[in-house]
Amino acid sequence: MIISADSQAILLLCSHVGLPSPSEHSPLSLREWNVLARKLQSASLRPGDLLNFKTAELTELLAASDGESERIMFLLQRGGSLAIELERLESIGISVTTRAEPDYPARYRDRLKESAPVILFYSGEKALLGQPGIAVVGSRHLDEAGKDCAQFVGNACGMSGLVLYSGGAKGVDSLSMTAALDARGTAVGILADSLERAIRNPESRAAISRGDLCLATPYSPSAPFTVGTAMARNKLIYTLADFAIVVASDAGKGGTWAGATEALKAKWIPVFALDHAKMPQGNGLLIEKGAARFPHPFPERPLRLKAWLEEHSATDQASPLQPRLF
Amino acid sequence: MDSKTHTLHLLHRMIGKDKDFRPGQWEAIEAVAIRKQRALVVQRTGWGKSLVYFLATKLLREQGAGPTILISPLLSLMRNQIETAEKIGIRALTINSANRDQWDAVEESLASDACDLMLISPERLNNRYFLEGVLPQISGRIGLFVVDEAHCISDWGHDFRPDYRRIVRIIQMLPRGVPVLGTTATANDRVIADVQAQMGTELTVLRGPLVRDSLRLQNLRLPKQSERLAWLARNLPKFKGSGIVYCLTVADTERVAGWLKMKGLSAEAYHAGDDETIDRAELERAFLNNEIKVLVATVALGMGFDKPDIDFVIHFQRPGSAVAYYQQVGRAGRAVDRSYGILLCGAEDDDIQNYFIESAFPNIDVFRGILRALEGREAMSIYEILAEVNTSLSMAMKALGLLEVDGAVGRTYSGRTLYFRTPNRWNPDRERIDRVIGLRKLELVQMQTYVDYSGCLMQFLLKALDDPNPVPCGRCANCQGKGFSTSVPPELVIEAENYLKSAQIFIRSYRQWPSSLFPAQKRTIPVELRNAPGRSLCYYGDAGWGEWVRSGKYVDGQFRAELVDASVRLIEAVWQPDPWPAWVCAIPSKRHPVLVPRLASSIAQKLGLPFIPALRRVRDADEQKLMQNSAMQSRNVMNTLAVDGPIPDGPVLLVDDIVDSGWTLTVAGYLLRQNGSGIVYPFALAQATGRKS
Repeated sequence: MIISADSQAILLLCSHVGLPSPSEHSPLSLREWNVLARKLQSASLRPGDLLNFKTAELTELLAASDGESERIMFLLQRGGSLAIELERLESIGISVTTRAEPDYPARYRDRLKESAPVILFYSGEKALLGQPGIAVVGSRHLDEAGKDCAQFVGNACGMSGLVLYSGGAKGVDSLSMTAALDARGTAVGILADSLERAIRNPESRAAISRGDLCLATPYSPSAPFTVGTAMARNKLIYTLADFAIVVASDAGKGGTWAGATEALKAKWIPVFALDHAKMPQGNGLLIEKGAARFPHPFPERPLRLKAWLEEHSATDQASPLQPRLF
Repeated sequence: MDSKTHTLHLLHRMIGKDKDFRPGQWEAIEAVAIRKQRALVVQRTGWGKSLVYFLATKLLREQGAGPTILISPLLSLMRNQIETAEKIGIRALTINSANRDQWDAVEESLASDACDLMLISPERLNNRYFLEGVLPQISGRIGLFVVDEAHCISDWGHDFRPDYRRIVRIIQMLPRGVPVLGTTATANDRVIADVQAQMGTELTVLRGPLVRDSLRLQNLRLPKQSERLAWLARNLPKFKGSGIVYCLTVADTERVAGWLKMKGLSAEAYHAGDDETIDRAELERAFLNNEIKVLVATVALGMGFDKPDIDFVIHFQRPGSAVAYYQQVGRAGRAVDRSYGILLCGAEDDDIQNYFIESAFPNIDVFRGILRALEGREAMSIYEILAEVNTSLSMAMKALGLLEVDGAVGRTYSGRTLYFRTPNRWNPDRERIDRVIGLRKLELVQMQTYVDYSGCLMQFLLKALDDPNPVPCGRCANCQGKGFSTSVPPELVIEAENYLKSAQIFIRSYRQWPSSLFPAQKRTIPVELRNAPGRSLCYYGDAGWGEWVRSGKYVDGQFRAELVDASVRLIEAVWQPDPWPAWVCAIPSKRHPVLVPRLASSIAQKLGLPFIPALRRVRDADEQKLMQNSAMQSRNVMNTLAVDGPIPDGPVLLVDDIVDSGWTLTVAGYLLRQNGSGIVYPFALAQATGRKS
């Protein structure tokens, strides 16, 4: 892996590599990074240029306070630890990209703008991130209709060359992902917890080796699962896909609900909710909030899935564009 | 005061007021500590490479940088180096697997910014504790990377250390402004060019002359071991001071040291074997203080060992390459006017070197077997892997190490070390393996040429190392036309031959059961149920017999006839147990059901004794070598062995293939004697070595 100076600087400033917890200086939050990135941009600098500065130069160029410059300089001194950690990750099959890289997923940039994750760790075929595809979301606990639907969508994606996007968790995620891969298709999982552990699963590992699967996460690859990270991760599933199907959601609570209502509000992509007689209460409420109905069983041939979703999508997608930020 | 003057003052504090920089020292310090660039120092041992990194560390620390990480295959820094560093307030610490009890203290020093330089092995760079426990103590701030033995970065270097590929990848990912200093004593043009290509072309290379002004080289051909032992006994007393005798194998160091002791010389064996029997730190100390005249060592006494007043370095067997030889012989005469480097060349040298070359890489089937086993699982321990892959522990570890560096296998820890397959593709790097093996063979040819070379020997070595100015030394035996004679008194040779015949490897007989095994029962094993002292034919894994034992057990599934013959010779001619055994028995195994019984019955046949398979496995034990302590070892056997049928009451020769802890033989002997057998003489083809307590 050859890593650009821009990405080195971003990783030093925004990741926890080599830092104790708690640390004298914490890494920059997304918001803090955006502020710094704007300053760099207006000074016609790139993130990698930070590696050449002394504290005083930094203070002057960025009109930063002494405290801010000191924090940045402190964080930038971890180059040795960063290299050691990146080498370790690469040797177990994990790579990294940042918002400063030209091949960072364009859909994140376009749809999430400044809230796009600055750093993305991944294992597998990165080109899959943002290829045409369908996101399947839902809770871990599913009824029969939900299971059928998850497998149907996975299978249909596999057969029609669409990427199956999910959260790579148990339940609906793994059912649909396995169905897609079994149909000789491709899948992407955006994880909320340990990427390092996920790629040790023999099936996932084999699919990654074949180039059929990419698992990615904005969190540290060894991070344990926390509810907060799962919530924040939801929009990263929606924003890579062309359509999302909510298989099962609780009403007014839980990660699925939070992610679906956020997606409905942001209008990144058309959101469907599985519609059947015994559907969970949350599905009905999502439909009330504007989600399109996804019938169970699906009335047409599997290969017609994408066309059907297009025909049944509302057309008021938001697509404002604004300048890019690293 | 400018930086150079300031640094010179520091140097004065370290080594004395009258000293100045040697050519290249300041340039290297400046490159890394002032310009924050990369430098490679190629200078002979004793030139002062450690001064360079200590001084560079001091300057960087004064600028507020984090500690230096010194990556080295050494286990620790020499005490005198640490003391020199302390004179300018540089505190150097080590983290390795052997000083676990000090880790907490090291962490504390790091956390309070009291450690300036930390020595770690290349393997540790990939170690979870290092990444999650150590680096955060310094908030990840590494001021300087020092890569010791930097020639290992190149495949063309004379020793092949796969972990150095990891170092290269790390260097290539380093942001600018993180300085790197590579140091090596020995690198030829090709190695330097290769290191330069991998460390980046902006590398400052500082290379000095290699010649040693006090060293007198001589080569002597003495084919038989007994001749060389006799030569040592006759000539070593002529040297006033102390020195080193290098051997190729652990067993040879023990044999040579035993002989020299018998001849009244102060000699000790030094090798990387059993920690229980060898106190390396104490041996180094005693040797440094000239309390030991001769240290009989394998290459385990190597890098970093710096004793200025070594009078002689004698090789009992020929090393594998001119570079290795130069490095070893170069330990002599750093601060004495006259020293000797004598190469004794024996008939067994080529066999041993060829064995080293052939066993350097595990067989391709071992790699594939390990990957196949791992592919079906999330993660496995080494012992779970060994249950599915038919290879020795050491070969499996070697293969796993290479696979890890290749990125095909990862390691995690969950109560024990677990290995897992990564998603990275893996293909055997045939080209690299062939290249390394081919190079080793060329180096061997060069050494064969060196032995019989009639010109200046120092010049030969300097040319082999691409020294910029290789001129005849005027001191070696060839330049002088005189030197030590090969002739030795025949009676001394005969005495050495007798010694070699009687130099036996004993199997110890336990007197007590391990304490945790039978809390209620008496620990003492009754005298009448104990084994008599036994014998092993060889050390497992040693070249020659030791290697045949390995391949017989793990590859061929039977032992060569030569091993049977050698065993019978040992028992009849050397051991001569008295009273003579009346029958032969074997340690049974479900894993290898015919291997040992067949061996035992062949030995029995040649000795003209009956073979009676009186012992039976009731269920299969785990392999003894997998048991981590005595209690587990003896319990592991105790419940799995049973006695079958009537037992003859005569003395018995109890045969096993490899003796590890000795508990299997102890328990088997105990059972046989309980059931009416006479004295039990344990015998094994090989003794496992290197076991940690």
